[in-house]
Amino acid sequence: SQPSAGHQAGELQSKGVPSKQILHSDNMEMEPETMETKSVTDYFSKLHMGSLVYSCTSKRKHK
Amino acid sequence: RMEASCLELALEGERLCKAGDCRAGVSFFEAAVQVGTEDLKTLSAIYSQLGNAYFYLHEYAKALEYHHHDLTLARTIGDLLGEAKASGNLGNTLKVLGNFEEAIVCCQRHLDISRELNDKVGEARALYNLGNVYHSKGKKVASAGTHDPGELPDDVKNALQKAANYYEENLTIVTELGDRAAQGRAFGNLGNTHYLLGNFRRAVLAHEQRLLIAKEFGDRSAERRAYSNLGNAYIFLGEFETASVYYKRTLQLARQLKDRAVEAQACYSLGNTYTLLQDYEKAIEYHLKHLVIARELNDKIGEGRACWSLGNAYTALGSHDQAMHFAERHLEISREVGDRSGELTARLNLSDLQMVLGLSYSTNTSMMSESHVVDKSLNGTRPRVGRRHSMENMELMKLTPEKVQNWS
Repeated sequence: SQPSAGHQAGELQSKGVPSKQILHSDNMEMEPETMETKSVTDYFSKLHMGSLVYSCTSKRKHK
Repeated sequence: RMEASCLELALEGERLCKAGDCRAGVSFFEAAVQVGTEDLKTLSAIYSQLGNAYFYLHEYAKALEYHHHDLTLARTIGDLLGEAKASGNLGNTLKVLGNFEEAIVCCQRHLDISRELNDKVGEARALYNLGNVYHSKGKKVASAGTHDPGELPDDVKNALQKAANYYEENLTIVTELGDRAAQGRAFGNLGNTHYLLGNFRRAVLAHEQRLLIAKEFGDRSAERRAYSNLGNAYIFLGEFETASVYYKRTLQLARQLKDRAVEAQACYSLGNTYTLLQDYEKAIEYHLKHLVIARELNDKIGEGRACWSLGNAYTALGSHDQAMHFAERHLEISREVGDRSGELTARLNLSDLQMVLGLSYSTNTSMMSESHVVDKSLNGTRPRVGRRHSMENMELMKLTPEKVQNWS
């Protein structure tokens, strides 16, 4: 009988307006979204690292 | 030289966004795009961050545009992880825009790639996003109707049940990973999903977990959210005293956090809770507090709601002059904001009150017949046809003072 408790709760206060409007008027509190992140520095450092590694290995090969 | 310049601008954009100034960050990212770069991974990161910045600025059309660019680019360069991330962001943006079917496709893509890459963190995040899309989808359809939580059409129930399943799946993974913050988020939204499904006990259990984690982190905003959600669930369990305790904690935190809008909402909830407890003096006290803030924030809809609630509470106390004042104000505001159903309700309240006042001044029945004319003219368009005739069967009668009972 849970929904009827809620229904009654609404009816108690309501005067010609649906109970939904009174009791939970969009006031449900949601948790925030999580967005995926990319970073220029991530790619930049990888790029840098990559070229460093490349230059090191190529130097080694040259030797 | 040009390369360095694009990178410098983008780095400044990143710094500004991290510092919380998305508006300024956007300018730098857009300048970086203008300068351009041949490094497509860098460009992809710029598009992604532009999309997120616009998302946080609530400019969703722009967010959509940039996340779409990012997705195209990630696919072009064969960056699978980048594609997964762009899909997830695009999915979240489509969700906010109400395009649930496309949002589901994007979030599912995020999930599929994460599984393919055996990326557990990505998989969990995609499951949370999918839960959010199904929750929004269910809520959107549900809010179109006038039913209470727990009384839902099948398609709404299906969407919400799917949301609950995705949150549960997410919880399994983030628990394994020991990610408490992610657990907190999943519990909060799982609780809200159970609330809409009418599983109020399960909603309470989830929000209690959310509360525990919020306290662990000292996250007072999350703590406040949990109190408010617990209050809502206890209302529908019929435990109004407990609800009032949680709403008071919400109010306390809203004041500490200096969030006037949330403070107003908490006062409004408390006003309604005390109405349910039939303590009309306290109900009026909180509805008046709500009214003051609504005016301060220039929130006309809130002000109308406050006036309507105050009218009802004063009617319940038999203070008809005050009830009349607020019913008139409710009518004025309903007209101002173009709320047709509010306008009709206010008219009905006013005609009821006029009749009560008329009866209390004399036993002349002319007021009665006048009121019947009003009733006839409104018949068919009023929110609840035949309300007056079925009134004696309604709990509403417990609210109305002796005088009103005498009239019928």
